[in-house]
Amino acid sequence: MFTDRFLRDKRGVNLEPDERSRLEAAISEVQTFPPRTTIARAGEPLEQSTLLLEGIMSRYIDDRRGLRQLVAVHVPGDFLDLHAFPLKTLDHDVATMTAATVATISHSELDAIMLEMPQLVRKLWFSTLIDAAIHRAWLFRFGRLDAIGRVAHFLCETNVRLISAGLSDGRRFALELRQTDLAEICGLTNVHVNRVMRHLREERLCVFRSSLVEILDPERLAARGQFDPYYLYIQAPQLEPMTSSSRPSL
Amino acid sequence: MTHEPALPQPASAPGVATAEEGLVVLDGPAGVAVTMTAAAAALTGRSLISAAGVAKTQIADRADNDDI
Repeated sequence: MFTDRFLRDKRGVNLEPDERSRLEAAISEVQTFPPRTTIARAGEPLEQSTLLLEGIMSRYIDDRRGLRQLVAVHVPGDFLDLHAFPLKTLDHDVATMTAATVATISHSELDAIMLEMPQLVRKLWFSTLIDAAIHRAWLFRFGRLDAIGRVAHFLCETNVRLISAGLSDGRRFALELRQTDLAEICGLTNVHVNRVMRHLREERLCVFRSSLVEILDPERLAARGQFDPYYLYIQAPQLEPMTSSSRPSL
Repeated sequence: MTHEPALPQPASAPGVATAEEGLVVLDGPAGVAVTMTAAAAALTGRSLISAAGVAKTQIADRADNDDI
């Protein structure tokens, strides 16, 4: 099923079989895009929303010189531009970071779902509220954390999101991003990220090598990034090492 | 429940600069995380030292005025 990862292991919300079937039936198209392909531009009218099935995608805003500021990263299972359903246009661009496979659901189908299944609409709303929670965490990351903290926070966040998607065991996950992508995400230069990754490796916190992230000490990495997974609304036994008595307070 | 505004305060801990692959990486103070060319880093360093000197003078002047 295309929607297997959508709202998987979320706290307080669960897709019923008939709701999942309805979403599956609403999918009109499944497409695969190469890395770094823009699939929606700010201001363009949109008549469909996109569920990410495989790969990593981003939302970004270009500055006046055309330099990209990433404002969100999406992992499989994310309904990444659901907010375009009521807004009809986006205020940012959407692009793939790796090769990515997406399912498309038209806004007319979402209109029909609103009439047929109001409880499902509430769950779709839940997913956009998690997006908003992640945005708040990103503001915190950029406003308060140093270079090591930013990278540590992002890796912890990605780990937890991938646990929810069934793509991390809590200690190890595949991440097809390059170091330059990590630099772009964390607002650092490549040289700076290189230094940060060396530090994380030497401190036995985390290793990122050959598209594989291995978290050696989840509790200390979370503490270094002041990361608390609460805002991701995920329930999974793998989160236990990050929620001990030494959990950082926000 | 009321809260006092959490205004950013002047940093009292210094930033730490290191050379990395022919560039200068500055970590801190606070959330500062920048990479500069060697030339930009040297100019920034001189500018910081100059401004620190002026700031010390301002503190001394303020102390003198308080004594009057």
